Amino acid sequence: MVAMPDLLPALPELFLACAGMLLLMIGVFRGEGSLRLVSWLAVGALLVTGVLLVLGPTERTVTFSGLFVSDSFAVFAKLLVLTATALTIILSQRYLETEQLARFEYPVLLVFATLGMMGMISANDLIALYVGLELQSLSLYVIAAFKRDFAKSSEAGLKYFVLGALSSGMLLYGASLVYGFAGTTNFDALAALFAAGETPAVGVIVGMVFVAAGLAFKISAVPFHMWTPDVYEGAPTSVTAFFAVAPKIAAITLFIRVLVDPFGDLLAQWQQVIWFCAVASMILGSLAAIQQSNIKRLMAYSSIGHIGYALVGLAAGTEAGVRGVLIYMAIYLAMNVGTFAIILSMRVQGRMVEEIRDLSGLSKSHPMMALAMAIFMWSMAGVPPAAGFFGKFYVFMAAVDAGLIVLAVIGVITSVVSCYYYLRIIKVMYFDDLTEPLERPSRAASLVIAGTALFTFPVFFIFSNAILTGAATAAASLFQ
Amino acid sequence: MLTAVLAIFVLAALAPTVHRMTPSFSHWLLALVPAAITVWFATFLGPVGAGEVVTQSIPWIPTLGVELAFRLDGLSLLFALLITGIGTFIVIYSGGYLHGHEHQGRFYLFIIAFMGAMLGLVLADDIITLFVFWELTSITSFLLIGFNHEDASSRRSAVQALLVTAFGGLALLAGLVLLGIAAGSFTLSGIEASGIDIRAHALYLPILVLILLGAFTKSAQVPFHFWLPNAMDAPTPVSAYLHSATMVKAGVYLLARMNPTLGATEVWTITLAAFGTVTALWGGLMALRSTDLKKVLAYTTLMALGTLVMLVGLGTEYAMKAYAVFLLAHSLYKGALFMGAGSVDHGTGTRDVRELSGLWQKMKITGVFIALAALSMAGLPPFFGFIGKEFMYEGMLQAGTLGLLVVAGMVIANATMLGAAGLVFWKPFTGQPSEAAEHAHEGGPSLWLGPAVLASLGLALGLGAIPHEGLGEGLLGAVATSLKGEAAKVDLYLWHGLTPALGISVVTIALGLGMFLGLGGVKRGLDGLARASRVNVDAAWDHVLAGLNAVAVAVTRATQTGKLRDYMVWTFTGITLMLGGTLLLRDGILLPREMPETSYLGIFMAALMVVGTIGTILAFSRLAAIVSLSVVGLSIAMFFLVYGAPDVGITQLMVETLTVIIIVLVLAKLPAFRKGEDGTGGERARNGAIAVAMGAVTTAILLAVIAVPYELDLTRYFAEQSYVGGYGRNVVNVILVDFRAFDTLGEVTVVAVAGLGVLALLKARMGRTRTGSQAGGDQP
Repeated sequence: MVAMPDLLPALPELFLACAGMLLLMIGVFRGEGSLRLVSWLAVGALLVTGVLLVLGPTERTVTFSGLFVSDSFAVFAKLLVLTATALTIILSQRYLETEQLARFEYPVLLVFATLGMMGMISANDLIALYVGLELQSLSLYVIAAFKRDFAKSSEAGLKYFVLGALSSGMLLYGASLVYGFAGTTNFDALAALFAAGETPAVGVIVGMVFVAAGLAFKISAVPFHMWTPDVYEGAPTSVTAFFAVAPKIAAITLFIRVLVDPFGDLLAQWQQVIWFCAVASMILGSLAAIQQSNIKRLMAYSSIGHIGYALVGLAAGTEAGVRGVLIYMAIYLAMNVGTFAIILSMRVQGRMVEEIRDLSGLSKSHPMMALAMAIFMWSMAGVPPAAGFFGKFYVFMAAVDAGLIVLAVIGVITSVVSCYYYLRIIKVMYFDDLTEPLERPSRAASLVIAGTALFTFPVFFIFSNAILTGAATAAASLFQ
Repeated sequence: MLTAVLAIFVLAALAPTVHRMTPSFSHWLLALVPAAITVWFATFLGPVGAGEVVTQSIPWIPTLGVELAFRLDGLSLLFALLITGIGTFIVIYSGGYLHGHEHQGRFYLFIIAFMGAMLGLVLADDIITLFVFWELTSITSFLLIGFNHEDASSRRSAVQALLVTAFGGLALLAGLVLLGIAAGSFTLSGIEASGIDIRAHALYLPILVLILLGAFTKSAQVPFHFWLPNAMDAPTPVSAYLHSATMVKAGVYLLARMNPTLGATEVWTITLAAFGTVTALWGGLMALRSTDLKKVLAYTTLMALGTLVMLVGLGTEYAMKAYAVFLLAHSLYKGALFMGAGSVDHGTGTRDVRELSGLWQKMKITGVFIALAALSMAGLPPFFGFIGKEFMYEGMLQAGTLGLLVVAGMVIANATMLGAAGLVFWKPFTGQPSEAAEHAHEGGPSLWLGPAVLASLGLALGLGAIPHEGLGEGLLGAVATSLKGEAAKVDLYLWHGLTPALGISVVTIALGLGMFLGLGGVKRGLDGLARASRVNVDAAWDHVLAGLNAVAVAVTRATQTGKLRDYMVWTFTGITLMLGGTLLLRDGILLPREMPETSYLGIFMAALMVVGTIGTILAFSRLAAIVSLSVVGLSIAMFFLVYGAPDVGITQLMVETLTVIIIVLVLAKLPAFRKGEDGTGGERARNGAIAVAMGAVTTAILLAVIAVPYELDLTRYFAEQSYVGGYGRNVVNVILVDFRAFDTLGEVTVVAVAGLGVLALLKARMGRTRTGSQAGGDQP
């Protein structure tokens, strides 16, 4: 008889899974018009999950026969993901209602996607990784096409699905190669195998590259980024806001865990691949965004660029590098949620607008909103003293420490290029003439905008200690 | 010190409110805070002059060892006094200058925030703190240059200034980080105290180049000089403050700061002396040909910045002293001149020297102080500027051959200062009143107070009316000490005796007078020179931006076509490159020593797969393609069956069948293949090449995989455990029903769910056909 696994480390996930199913039932039985109720319940469930996480064990615990691991690294990343999802659900409500998309499935799907992400973050086995990833991806495919009467949204969902399936296939192929040659899919066992210092078989390395390629798709790193701009533009804006943050954080943490934990001793084997992805992402992210007139597409390229910067930290493969990535993602969360809260508030006479020129003269009609947007843009460009600078600083620092000076230099150059398009938004808001004023943002949106803007500057600047210490502990737990 | 910086930022935040409540005298109120801070800093004159260094450190992120560290030595103190002192007058001045402007409150916010950033920059000891403030000055200056945002050229200048300085800023960051790593410390004092000779470090050259890039862009050295004259689109208080007295000096400050750590090498000396002299010469000459008062002053600022850079480069003792003296002299007269020029603009409505003459009648007060400041700029005795120039020549003469070369350039540059002084005072104020001068009027005290104090200080310092003990040997000596890294003393005297420096000064003055008198000829000569270069750098800037846009369009057009097929092309290219690259780099290309044995059946099925693949490619309808593809799938299933994995084979068969059915059902809804849909011949060839490459890489992987001996751990495990653990002799059976019972259950479930999916699709299809007329009918 197999002994009952220790459920305690996975308590937050179990709670969220039950809550998700319960929410689905509530939605089904309440029928139409239950979006608001289900949304707030979902936010509540996410909150409780967060509390359970914080109260849970902090030392590394492995359960479910080695499939599931819980450590500070996981807790840090899960808290980020939960925050991102909760904020997105809050922001989405008004958008969904005015766009006639008020269906209760939306928050439920987000909850299931989040559950998948938590599974990814805590995966300690290639199989667990895949299960988490697919739970996330399947939910995302559906919500990308949530506005199903709208051709662009359906197209976005389909493109995402086809390319996503392709990447899942690559990942599985890689996993099977690893299994075939290493004889195990368990991360700890793999790590022990490689730590012994044996030269790994070609099959293992090829398998690892396949797994890396599959994951690169999920974080939309170049050259697996093609879906991003189309999906960002085509999907409903609230969905884009979700896509831009939570899945990215989950996938990059998973990426870190896979490369650092089981394959950590094969650093020399995967460093070039990550190096290449980082460089290509940074360059494409900064160049392609210049010409965009649609702000959602611009954010897509911007997110590709940001992932490139995060990968710089991963390419270092050191504890400092991982810490840098975690800090980067925490700041990325605030900047992006805030920016999307503003994009979701871009409404002129009852219709949504999403062109950059629609922001012209924002400083006159909504000075506080313009100021917040300016802070986000400075931060994304990485100009101090906004928080984004520190994100970039720590990853570049780690890269330089690890001897990847060329990588850091390319990162600095692309940062300058990206300044150009972030600045353009500030220029449009502050220097161009007002055409049509935007409507007042909803109260929830205003609160989120104000909160994230204050976090980006100056709260982070002053109280960065807590976050940096958290990230440092989390990174340390991975390198034990 | 943190309190002082914070106080200014708090003041900046409050400024708009203060202005709204007391619009008529808010500038006097707001100036109180910087004035008080100036006084506070002045109390440090004694101790710092005596060689003391005041430090303050507040832990910020203790876990990472980051702290907010500040340091006050001679160099910092001089800058701090200039920033807050001149800042006080600038705030007062802008009250008068921008009186009634609708965004006056916002202006105070920006300019006071800038003051705080600049102060933080010169006080910072931690190099990250320094960098943060450095970038903050760039941002606030961007907002200030673009303050008149209705004006297109203002906007262009603002963006240009920001991008140039931001580029330099990031280079600086890279340099500082490398420096920190090389020295093992992230504070300036720590780096100096570390005892590590950075000059001998392997990273010295990269550090030097990066830091120089930062400093040169900020201090507008050739070839990054073009943004500074353009930045004159800013309101005059901004030009007076940022572009003469403070921000552009940040680069010069940094170089001085780095001198003890990085200086005194050959590359340092030659680079700084060469760039500095060329900039000085260039700025001086261009000043003569400008007609806009502010442009004239902007170019003389270039001259001054070049001179300061050159002096840091020379590194002789007198050069260090000259740096201190000239820095102070320049800030005083240039601040006064800019504000004076602004008053002229304010009083007459123009800054064009061709339209101005005979202003003396109407604007006596402004005239007096412009005259005093201009004389100091011209370097005539008994003004402070003269002392600065004497020190400068002395310093160059000490520097040997290189110094003599520099002297030749600097004589011309200094002579042009005299010409420029004539341009800003003599031309507008003497002679017959011009049309513009007819209705000129004097501004209020807020407009002339600043120039008055600064210009008078220039004269008083020159005459020795202010005791030199505290200032000369004290503060300026301390500045020279900070630069040199060892004790130095400055004796300020107008009369140094009959020295070679005096002789050069006389030549300079004569040359300058000649230039001013023959201005017409000089201008014509310069026009040719100007056409050859400055315009080009500025135009090149536009080309760079246009080029960036073009690259962006090209990249986007190539990668983001919106077609799924093109995305697949990129994805497969990427994966091919990544895998192929890994194989090549890791020597992964292996051939099995012996080919595995093959049966005729296997060859037959492989051939079947090849046929299926070719059929798929050549098929002219979707249905045919799907059917051909399923041949491949079924052949794979056969392989499994033949080579002893019947369960996998069965699953594969079922999944394959279901997939084909589903796809056929879906595809049947699509319109037929159209001609040209699969791209041009070239595209097809490209796609084919990628497909072949991908196939080749996969084949290489498979061959390599077979070539290495297979790990038999798993096989052995199941062979051993199947009887012990599962009580069965048929290993496959035991695996299926015991070891992987849940897997099998899962497989069954998957197939069942897929079947349900087919059913749903079929039902939907039938329902649609029945209710077709209601739903609007199918597309043909």
